Amino acid sequence: MTEQSNRLAHGGLINRDKRLSFKFNGTGFKGFEGDTLASALLANGKGFVGRSFKYHRPRGIFSAGPEEPNALVQLRSGAHQEPNTRATVAELFDGLWASSQNHMGSLEFDLMSVTDLAAPFLSAGFYYKTFMWPKAFWEKVYEPLIRRSAGLGQLSMKDDPDTYDKGFLHCDLLIIGAGPAGLAAALTAGRSGARVIIADEDFVMGGRLNAETYGINGMEGHLWAQNAVAELAAMDNVRLMSRTTVYGAYDHGVFGALERKTDHLAQSNGKPRQILWRIYSKRSLLTAGATERPIAFPNNDRPGVMLAGAVRSYVNRYAVAPGHKVSVFTNNDDGWRTASDLQKQGVEVVAVIDVRNAPAPVSLNGVETIHGAHIVDTAGRKGLKSIKLSNGKTIATDCLAVAGGWNPNVHLTCHQRGKPEWREDILAFVPGGTLPAGMQVAGAASGTLTLKAGLQDAAQSAETILNDLGMAVKKSESFEAEDEAHSATSFWHVKTTGKRAWVDLQNDVTTKDIKLSYQEGFRSVEHLKRYSTLGMATDQGKTSNIAGLAILAECSGKTIPETGTTIFRPPYTPVPIGALAGRARGKDFRPYRLTPSHKWAEANGATFVETGNWLRAQWFAREGEKGWRDSVDREVQMTRASVGICDVTTLGKIDIQGKDAAEFLNHVYTNAFLKLPVGKTRYGLMLREDGIAYDDGTTARLGENHFVMTTTTANAVLVFRRLEFARQCLWPDLDVHLISTTDGWAQFAVAGPNSRALLQKVVDAPFDLSSEAFPFMACAELTVCGGTPARLFRISFSGELAYEIAVPSKYGNAMMGVLMQAGEEFGAIPYGTEALGVMRIEKGHAAGNELNGQTTAANLGLGGFVSAKKDCIGKTLSQRPEMNPEDDIRLVGFKPVNPQDALLAGSHFITKGERENMANDQGWMSSVAYSPSLGHSIGLGFIKNGQNRMGEIVKVVNPARGVNVEAEIVSPHFYDPEGGLQRG
Amino acid sequence: MVEYTLQLEPFLGGYAQQFEHVSLNEVDTMALISLALPNGQDGTAVVQALEASDVPNVGASCPCLNESGTLMRMAQDQFLLCVEDVANSFEMNKDLEQKLAGIAYTTDQTHVWVALDIGGPATLTALERICPVDLDISAFDIGAVARTSMEHLGVIITRITETNFRLFSASSSAGSFLHALETSIENITT
Repeated sequence: MTEQSNRLAHGGLINRDKRLSFKFNGTGFKGFEGDTLASALLANGKGFVGRSFKYHRPRGIFSAGPEEPNALVQLRSGAHQEPNTRATVAELFDGLWASSQNHMGSLEFDLMSVTDLAAPFLSAGFYYKTFMWPKAFWEKVYEPLIRRSAGLGQLSMKDDPDTYDKGFLHCDLLIIGAGPAGLAAALTAGRSGARVIIADEDFVMGGRLNAETYGINGMEGHLWAQNAVAELAAMDNVRLMSRTTVYGAYDHGVFGALERKTDHLAQSNGKPRQILWRIYSKRSLLTAGATERPIAFPNNDRPGVMLAGAVRSYVNRYAVAPGHKVSVFTNNDDGWRTASDLQKQGVEVVAVIDVRNAPAPVSLNGVETIHGAHIVDTAGRKGLKSIKLSNGKTIATDCLAVAGGWNPNVHLTCHQRGKPEWREDILAFVPGGTLPAGMQVAGAASGTLTLKAGLQDAAQSAETILNDLGMAVKKSESFEAEDEAHSATSFWHVKTTGKRAWVDLQNDVTTKDIKLSYQEGFRSVEHLKRYSTLGMATDQGKTSNIAGLAILAECSGKTIPETGTTIFRPPYTPVPIGALAGRARGKDFRPYRLTPSHKWAEANGATFVETGNWLRAQWFAREGEKGWRDSVDREVQMTRASVGICDVTTLGKIDIQGKDAAEFLNHVYTNAFLKLPVGKTRYGLMLREDGIAYDDGTTARLGENHFVMTTTTANAVLVFRRLEFARQCLWPDLDVHLISTTDGWAQFAVAGPNSRALLQKVVDAPFDLSSEAFPFMACAELTVCGGTPARLFRISFSGELAYEIAVPSKYGNAMMGVLMQAGEEFGAIPYGTEALGVMRIEKGHAAGNELNGQTTAANLGLGGFVSAKKDCIGKTLSQRPEMNPEDDIRLVGFKPVNPQDALLAGSHFITKGERENMANDQGWMSSVAYSPSLGHSIGLGFIKNGQNRMGEIVKVVNPARGVNVEAEIVSPHFYDPEGGLQRG
Repeated sequence: MVEYTLQLEPFLGGYAQQFEHVSLNEVDTMALISLALPNGQDGTAVVQALEASDVPNVGASCPCLNESGTLMRMAQDQFLLCVEDVANSFEMNKDLEQKLAGIAYTTDQTHVWVALDIGGPATLTALERICPVDLDISAFDIGAVARTSMEHLGVIITRITETNFRLFSASSSAGSFLHALETSIENITT
């Protein structure tokens, strides 16, 4: 084969000055800038490029656009490889590497092609019928076999090294499709000053004008398109987006679009390969054109059988002859144009077969024209060699252009459940029902299939839209163009009894499969689709749906509109998962929140743990410690012995102000807040509306109308949102205002017997820290370190004498250093969330494990906190009898009978002597820890009637983890149950 | 007498970077005070007290305090006051608390937000990759303010000039916010 043996000497929109090298299945080829992979392969005489899905039959390039069902290739290699790329839209670049897919062995000798011999057993739904017995084969034989056979192409199984991005665009008018209609509309809107985005999936705007020989206003169509694009590019108010597929129409004029930014380059150079755009449009105009459909006839799947419009594209746009002896098979006038264009380019046309008995719409010299006939068979295993006609004649041909009529591209009109309507005059579905908000359709996409009418339709639509938006319209030009002949007849397939005629090339669905599906009861088109796989996979039936529907209609004796149609969902064409993920990968999956002392903690050996979005110090390892338990035990012991410091900034902080702030808190908390004195802090419990415990924390009264609420870390945002709802919707008359200050204050727990002594070195005089002046649950605004504003709360989560001191966040890192420096003489240590957790379990405080959305205030032992004297959210429903059964669970403590036994959270409690099953389940262990203070494992858990079972020994079982130990029910307050230390 | 002193540390260490056609700088000089209007107030009294030129609509801002501050209208009942005085925000809040007693509730928000200025000819192109708000000058004029989210982070954006914007986001996630902005800029530069 000589280089580019099928490349025509002249013509085309390719750049012959720029030769590009590429490889297909390891063989080197040449092409030109402006080629697609498909056009370059055809130029090199490479028509056989893949194998079919089910029967592994040789397949060739069928189309010249996104509808391609056959020519799916694996593009690039290694980690960059991408399967199922349509060669017809893959822009050629120097160094492109592609390989065919779906074959075992080479493309030419595919071992899996034996499945074609088994075709009689592989009809529609065969997998539902065939793999029934023996049962033992289901998982061990059939499933692996089916899995291995299923799917097209292969993933590299390596991390995708490419990057992806997303973005947001806004416009007055989004024009989807930059063919003649789209460009005409864009010119009208752009000249009128509207903010326009015009997007097209092709790398050259102009649509069919680049593939046809039409003229507009006295110039060749593709030149008119070039001029239009140049004029639009010069407008600041117009954004041209080539290589961009608008793949989905969503609510409120929002569209999804995929821009292939560097797919046409050998290297991305670290820049995003693709961008997923969210386009907010005030109005949209769908000018997506139409897709040609084939006619099903026996053995119509051979390489060399192509859509007639695609043949014109290859000849006119890419200067490629798809064959040396081309035939045309048509049911409409448009097919004749293919023959005419081929002749003009010097390509031999051997015959035109028109199923109609009508005069030829164009005259062709030296071409055999056959009317009222159809094709009954073809020959040529790896490439078409001949066709056999219904009149008995056999014609030698290596390329057959099939013209079955055009389907308007209605896909995006269906994305909001719009249902297409049948138009008998063009034998196609057109947009119908309710279109997505703000959308209009023009040109071929609306069923206006001729050029001049399409141009006028689009310009008029743009004017209507601009008027609707209240914009002054600059009258659009009039168009001098052809209204080409397009008369068609409803000839969908050649009726055959023996040979297979393919309807859906991608899924190997034949006319016989559709008839069989109908025969087996799949009468609805939706059922047909799913049973036969018609219209599935990457092409989503762009070339097959109508023929399939027509055959179903024939079977049922109904018309096509009576039979109905499937509607389309996003995406219009495949969108890579990588593009959907965008930047949200690995460490960038979500944002991180850092505590103010993060830098200090990092420098001082902290191990961090993710708590929600926060990174918190979990423990601070010291030299010689053999594991985390050593570190945590030390932190607990040192804190209890002297003083420890922990960054507790992550707790939610909500500033609450207003004349009715106290009353508001009284409504949201179960316990009373109206009379909380200024300068005092109170523990508060919130319920959900259904009476289940929701969140807890402390709230400090800084002024008569000023409170600061703390929430749990996990619920900080949720509680704020809930309070806003309550403020705005439940009690809008209350004068109360909320603002989050979580990030504004760096807050540190300073806990242990020496905490007061430490803080005395930090707080500014004359503030008095003595228990008399600043007792347990006191709060104050003060200054520290010579004038830095601060807040001090005397609260304790550890059970020790403890404080929480807060400074503005930008001082937080420095404050941690100062606290540690000031604590040196006491042997102060930093402690992390593990030690915090151990100490709260020792103290018996409930936390997230206990407030888990299943427990009530009574379950938590906090029934007394639900005030009988006032109402609050959740109170009424918390009093339902079902919420208060006699043997209700209660939070209690557990200590192992054998101190060596380790308790395990999630274990269940079983009464001694009873069988270990769910019928005997008494409750569950919610939190456990090794208590360095007590020298053994301890736990908190909920057990039926727990408050009355103190001292009882129960079984703690976890069959999944092999745990079965005995534990004694004890008070949850393991450490300083009287609370003397924290009040000291 | 306490022997220790505390120094302010900017959340991003005073970050400043010039990219191709885009600059990105941390702004660490702003004191931010939230002003919430008591029920029944329309903001006129606040505007008068702060010597602002007008009562800005929600989504707009105006100069105040003799041009030394900016008053941004965040919601019907909420303003955000920005003044170049980060070190004294606490005192400023206390002063305002007294000055605006009965006409606004004040909260110091200075340390809640990290602020970044982004500017230069390619700013809009960079922000397209991260900001859902329509930033065309016809839709988002100089002085306009919007609350939005960028890469899952809550953000306040305000336009300073045609090609300069100030962005505020939560200080605890300042590093992630900066990374998101840097990525947006790097993705659009050659």
